[in-house]
This record gives sequence, C-alpha cells and structure tokens, in this order.
Amino acid sequence: MGFFAPWFLAGAVAIGLPFWIHLLRQYRSTPHPFSSLMFFERRTQSSIKHRRLRYLLLLSLRVALLLLIALAFANPFVSRSGGATGGRKMLVIAVDNSFSMRYDDHLARAKQTAVNAVSNLNPGERGQVLAVGSRVHFLTQPVEEADQLKAAIQGIQPSDEQSSYGELARALRTISQTSRIPLEVHFSSDLQKSSMPPAFADLRLGTDTKLVFHSVADSKEPNWMLESVTAPAKIYDPKKVRIQAVVAGSNTPQTKRTVSLALDGKTLESKMLDVPSNGRASVEFLSLDSPHGFHKGEIRIEPGDALHEDDRFDFAIERTDPHPVLFLHPAGQTLDELYYRSALESVSEAGFTLEPLAVEQAGNQSLSKYAFVVLSDVGTMPPGLEANLRAYVAGGGSLLVALGPLSAALARVPVSNETIQGSAYASRGDSRFETVAAADAEHPTLRRANKLDGVKFYQEIKVDPGQSHVIARLTNQAPLLLEKQVGEGRVVVFTSTFDNVGNDMPLHASFVPFVEETARYLGGQQDRSTNVAVDSYIELRSAQEHGSAIDVTEPDGSHPLSLKDASTTQTFQVTREGFYDIHRANGREELVAVHADRRESDLTPIPQETLALWQNTGLGPDTPSGDGSAADTQPRPWSLWRYALLLVLIIAIIESVLASRYLSVEKEVA
Amino acid sequence: MQPRSPTRFIDPALLAGISHLDLVAKTVVDGFVAGLHRSPDFGFSQEFAEYRAYTPGDDLRHVDWNVFARTERMYLKRYRGETNSQLTLMIDTSASMGYSSHGINKLDYGRYLAVSLAYLSNLQRDAAGVIIFDDDVRSYVQPSTRQGQFMRVAHAIEHAQTGTHTNFAKPFIHFQQFLRRRGIVVVISDFYEQPEVVIKTVEPLRYRGNDLILFHVLDPQEIRPKLKEPSLLVDMETEDAIEVSPEYAKEEYGAKIDAHIAALKIKANAAGIDYQLLPTDRPLDDALREYFLIRKGRM
Repeated sequence: MGFFAPWFLAGAVAIGLPFWIHLLRQYRSTPHPFSSLMFFERRTQSSIKHRRLRYLLLLSLRVALLLLIALAFANPFVSRSGGATGGRKMLVIAVDNSFSMRYDDHLARAKQTAVNAVSNLNPGERGQVLAVGSRVHFLTQPVEEADQLKAAIQGIQPSDEQSSYGELARALRTISQTSRIPLEVHFSSDLQKSSMPPAFADLRLGTDTKLVFHSVADSKEPNWMLESVTAPAKIYDPKKVRIQAVVAGSNTPQTKRTVSLALDGKTLESKMLDVPSNGRASVEFLSLDSPHGFHKGEIRIEPGDALHEDDRFDFAIERTDPHPVLFLHPAGQTLDELYYRSALESVSEAGFTLEPLAVEQAGNQSLSKYAFVVLSDVGTMPPGLEANLRAYVAGGGSLLVALGPLSAALARVPVSNETIQGSAYASRGDSRFETVAAADAEHPTLRRANKLDGVKFYQEIKVDPGQSHVIARLTNQAPLLLEKQVGEGRVVVFTSTFDNVGNDMPLHASFVPFVEETARYLGGQQDRSTNVAVDSYIELRSAQEHGSAIDVTEPDGSHPLSLKDASTTQTFQVTREGFYDIHRANGREELVAVHADRRESDLTPIPQETLALWQNTGLGPDTPSGDGSAADTQPRPWSLWRYALLLVLIIAIIESVLASRYLSVEKEVA
Repeated sequence: MQPRSPTRFIDPALLAGISHLDLVAKTVVDGFVAGLHRSPDFGFSQEFAEYRAYTPGDDLRHVDWNVFARTERMYLKRYRGETNSQLTLMIDTSASMGYSSHGINKLDYGRYLAVSLAYLSNLQRDAAGVIIFDDDVRSYVQPSTRQGQFMRVAHAIEHAQTGTHTNFAKPFIHFQQFLRRRGIVVVISDFYEQPEVVIKTVEPLRYRGNDLILFHVLDPQEIRPKLKEPSLLVDMETEDAIEVSPEYAKEEYGAKIDAHIAALKIKANAAGIDYQLLPTDRPLDDALREYFLIRKGRM
C-alpha cells in the first residue's frame, strides 16, 4: 500500500483536537470546594462511568473521521497485478465507417477483420462494438455474446462523416475508466493521416489499453476528387454566372479527366482537364441556363475511381429575379438617387433593382412588393404615406431613412418617431467637418464598410436616439447611424444624405459596401451558405425567433425534426451528402447542398512510428513497447480514496447522531 | 414554617453587611423581641413573680415589709429574675463551616446566632460564655454576669476563624471541666460526623442537668445541591476531591443528607437533646424561639 500524496498525512495531527476537547478540556474543570464529602462515595459513579464510555466512543469516531479525511487526501492505493482482475479483459471492436471507407471494399474488409477479432473474446469476458466517424457510436453494450457483437459489426453502414481518432481515444479512455479492467481494442480502419487530431496528446489511451490496428488500406492508393466547387447561391442573370471547380489527386499520376456540369440531373457542359501528378487543376463554367427556382447542381469528373463518391460535388443554386427597392425622394432631387443606384447596381450579386419615385406621388403606393424602402431627405410627406410606411414596417418590412436639409423641418423621424433636435452644418472652407468617431464594426451594415473611415460629414441632422440602437456616432457625439425595431420590421436612420453635398461618402470606397450590406440586411438576404460540408450546422432561426415551425427534409425524404424541435431548434447538423430542403418560418424555401469533407479523400496513411507511439500510450510508462501482454501482469495502483471518503461519510453521520444525543441529555439535566 | 414578612425578620445575608457583632446582635434581638406578644411566660429578671408566706429560716431581706405593715403578716416577695441561668455557646469553627453558596457562610451564620443568643441572655441577666473549637479548644470565655461580659463574649465570637477539621471527641472531653454550674449549652455546628458519634460526644454535657441545644447549621446547597454538569468537589477539610454527577447529587446525595439529618434529630431527641436544623438562608428567629422555649422550661 502506498500514497499518491503522502504529505497530506500531516493532516492527521488534527486528531489532537478531539483529544483536547474530550480529555484536557473535559477534566480541566474548576474544582468546587464543598464542606464535606462525607456523603459522597469514593468510587466512579455509575452515571459518569457510563458517560465516559460514551464519550470515548464519540472520541473514537472523531479521531477516525479526521484520520480518514487525511487518508483520503493522501490518496492511498494498493498495487494490484493484472491477476487481480482474474486476467480478464474487455474486448472493444472499433470499425471506421467514415466517408473514406467507401473506397473500394475498405468497409467490407474492415468489418471482416472486426468479425475475426471477435474470436479473441474469451468465455466470461465482455466485448463492445463501436463505429468511428466524427463521433463514436456505441453499437452495443458490453456483452459476452460473440454473436451479438458480430451482428452489430455486420450492421455497420458507411457514413459521410469524417473520422476522428481523437474522439475514438476519448471514448476508449471513458470505457477504461468505467470498466476498470484492461481493454483490448481492435481498430479496423484505413488509418488516414488526415483524421489525426491536432495534438498528439488527444490520442492518449487509458491505463492498460492494448490497441491493435487492422489497416484495410494500402500505403499508396490513388484517388482523384472534386476538391471544391465555387458557385453563387443565387443567379439573377444566367449569362453572368461563374462556377469554378477544382480537381485534385493524391497518389495519382498525371492524367486527363472530363469535368461535367449538370443541373437537375441534366448535363449542361463538359470540359477536358489536365490534372498533374499529385496536383490539382481548376475549371470554370461561365453560363448556367436555368429556369427560375431552386436547382440541384452537380459537378462530376469522369472516369471515376475507387472512391467515386468524391468524384462528384453537389451545389444548390437559385434562379430568381432581382428584388425591387423603392427609393422615395423629393421631386427635383436626383443626385442622391444617382449615387445610391450606382452603388446598388454595381454589385452583380446583390439582386436588387432600384425603383425611384418622387415622394409626392407615393401617397397610395403599395409597398408590399418591395424588399425595402428608402426615404432620402424626405420632408413633409403626402397624407397616408407615413401610415402606409408604418404599417409596412410593422408587418415585417424594412425602411432606410436618410435625413437631409428637408428633414430638418420635421419634428420627428418618420416611422421610427425619434425626436429631431436640429441640424448641424459645417463649412468646407474652414475644413470643419465631422468624421465617424465610434462605430459598431460588427453590425451588418458596417461589416465591410471599414467604419466609414475617412468620410467627411459636413451636414447632419441631430436626432435624439431615444430607444434606438446607435450604430455609429460622429466626432461631435451626434448619432450617424441608428436602428430601431418597429413591430416585426426595422428602421435604419442615416442622419446625413446619400449625395456628395452633406458628406463625401459617395466618393469613398466604403460607400458601395455600405449600400450593399445595408440592402442585404434590410432586404433579408444575409449570407446563408447553401453549400456546406457534412457535420456542419445550419442555422434555422435566430435566438429571438420562436414559435413558428421549420421543416427540414433530408436527402432521403425523411423529416428529422420532431414537432417540438421544429418550433424551437436553432441549428441543425447535417450528417450525410445530398440536398436538404429547408422550409423556413417566413415561408421561404431553401435548398442546401451537403458534401463530404474533402479531407476524407486524402487516403495517405499514418506512419507506422506514429501508430506505435499511439499504442504505447495505453501500456503505461514502464511497460516495454509492443508487448501488450505484459500490461496484464504488471502491478498497477488501485486507488482507495473513494472508499476512505465513503467511510468518512458514514462515520460523520454516526458521529452527528451520537453527538446530538449527548447534547440532548445534557440539556435535560441542565 | 409560616411565611414571614420580609420586614420583620432580617435576611442573614443582610446581616453580613453589619461590621460589628454587637450591633448584629442588637439588630436581631431587638427586632425579635419587639415582635413578640406580651406573655406572662416571658419577662425580665427584676419582674415580680409571686408572694409566699414566711416560714422560719427564710431570709428576712426578702420580706415585704409594706405588706407586713398593713396586714401584720410576713410574706416573701419573689422575682423571676432570681431564676437566672448560665448559657454556654459552643461554636464549631472547622474548615467546613466556611462553606457558602450565597452571601453568608455557615460560620458567619453561627456567629450571628451565637452573639444574638449572648445578647439575649445578657438582657436577661444570664451568664453567657463561649467556647470556640474545631479539633481543639481555640478560645474560651467563662460564663459570667460581670459588667462587660457581653462584649468579651462578642469579641471572642468575632475573632473566631475557620480552623482545620472537626473532632468532636477531643475538645468535648475538656468541656466537662468548664461546665461547673448547670445551665443551657448551645452547640452550633454542621455536625459532619456520624449521628451516633455526635450524640455520644455531646451527651455527657447533660449529665449535670444542663439543657443541650444542637443548632445544625447547613448551607442550602448542602441540603439540595444543584449541579448543572459533572463537577469536581473538593472537601474543605481533607482536600480530597471527587467528581460528582448531577444525577448523583440530586438522587443519592439528597437521600443521604436527609437520612443524616433525620438520624441526628431522632437520636438527639432520644437523648433528651434539643435539635434544630438551621439553613443559612433562613432568618435567625427560629433559633431564638428555640432558646426561649428552653429558657422557659428552666424557670
């Protein structure tokens, strides 16, 4: 028996405390003079004798309590040889079913080696089957029946996940800690180098874990793959589409491959591509003639190879019309419209078309069809327009308000109702201008606008922020950009104009990103990737959105979300290749293409030296490497602190009961 | 015991605040006497008692010549004062008498009692003397009716100090030589001795016709000890120590001290000795009343 932390035994000196309480303190009572002891008998009176005995029991309990606490902290252990467990072990069969195991007959061979490994299960021992992907799936409980293990192995299906050996090591550590007997792990895999965790320490195994590898891959297996495809999520003009695909090879000779573009299963275009040895080459498709709506795109290379799943790459694309944006301006003012239109339409993928309209003519304008509305330096509005705008915003629409000289006459900002305090003008001659002093760079409107750095503001309307969120302030601390939630929609207020009179922003490079991002933000077209890898998470709703159900349809047509999850879940993890249909709460449909992580296509194996190091992490520091059987007979420490702590708990309870009984007796006597 | 008015009898603890014993005696006795009803049984020595016909041999000094002038018959006039007595106070000053659980210890209580009796006897022209003893005679004032006798007695009582342990046998042998005349002998002690030994020791004092009164002075804590926790008790005479539990003090000790008191009383009465238990929290009038009863019996 030994101690892991023997210095904690010094705490045993605390047993002096109960001795002091029970002995010194008890018998140090002040003598009371009494006239005569004639009527007291010189013998230990029965009641005191009884009490002393009981106190001795209490003393013993307290001493034992303190000793056990010190003992528990010192962490005692006894050395137990492997024979202490009766020489038994637990057999763990791990089968890699990641995407790369689809290569040729790798998975079938892995399952066969795993079935063969079940023969190592001795009578009375238990075995467990694991499937290793990005997570470890426990396919059985620890059981003694070999047939049950074999059935579980045969039931393993290939997945599209990326294997993670770090997860496997973590699962093995957990099994080792819970089973407390030596593990014999048989791992059937292609042992990809790309599945190694970033830190080797993540691979460490538990004590007495013997890891046996069954590699099903050759050292140099050629594989070509479609490494990446870059395609726009939305196309507004089929003539302006640019789709780029990269073909790469590992352990491959130089060759020619045909790369084809297909849409909804129909091949649209094919190109021949020279792929260098162990290198990569790219190809571009510059047109995509497609009808309106969502389409399932596919790039594939021909001829295929042993891992034909990575010879194709799915992508989702939507053909749609640009969304109209209503630009309301005072009659006669066109400069702001000119700049705003130029900025908005210079972005080909923005998907917005500007519809300018003089504010005087917009009294009865229907707003529902517009992605958002811009009020540019609008003063007095015709009757009904503001109410119309208010209803539009409250119903979920968005409004961008730019305040200029005409707005200064208003008492309040339209729709957002924040108080207009006045206007501020600066002179160009004296170079008196304001710049942005503070800005929320994470806000979507300013994400790419570089905080409007260098923009000079000569005129701005001073607005009391009230309940609005201030996104940017000028150097005079006047708000420049404000946002307010009104009903279901939002209002963004820009306290200057979009022309180059009140400021010189249109002349700066940040103007176009500002207009583009603001339009995306207000038009509800924030970036949502439609091409993701397996194991990625798709955002279904923001934290504020609750109640409305979201429907997800998997590639096989199943609906994985329960009714409860459909109304509450914020993210969804995609686990297989193919196209996912997402029906969002606002009624919009989305198509998301999911492809396997292309790191799985790199079949380069782990070096033998690394595998040996990994195996040695489970054999303990003193065990010669490569000899797993030695671990069974090597004495190993068996920690006893849990038992000491259990005894502490029991004794503490008894001590409490006993002490409370004594106290109650003394109270009665008093 | 009937409940008493707190203003009539002074708490012994209050007497401890009075520095001079003669003043203590005057306070106690005057208060006691003033509260008595006038009674033919009690009086002072010069008080008229009766007439008796003259018989030959009577002292002619006692003939009432006024009566003879009116009736030509000779009568003798007798006074109660002529039936005077001798009071001997014996005070135990052993170490145990120094015990106290409240304001007054047993020795002080005994001193107040003794000096009060001495003062009372002085008023009645009795001869009062005192013997202070523990295991030997520490002080002795012979009974006398001389002038200043009370002050001598009071002085001896005032200077009594607690001594060693009690030994009844040794000093009482000597007491016989002090008691030449018959009278009243008052023993004030806590009597921590076997009742048979106590009675056997003091009994010879009665042989010459003495009236013997045992005043058993005990502290209330000695009669009913109240311990809150096991305590170490040290004998004040022998300095032996015994740890005592509250249960024992309450049950067994209480029974033993009660038996001791009862045995002492029974044996004293059987021997014709008056016995009076005096807890130190009780006023002194019980003791004074007992003395008067004895004094009455001697007239």
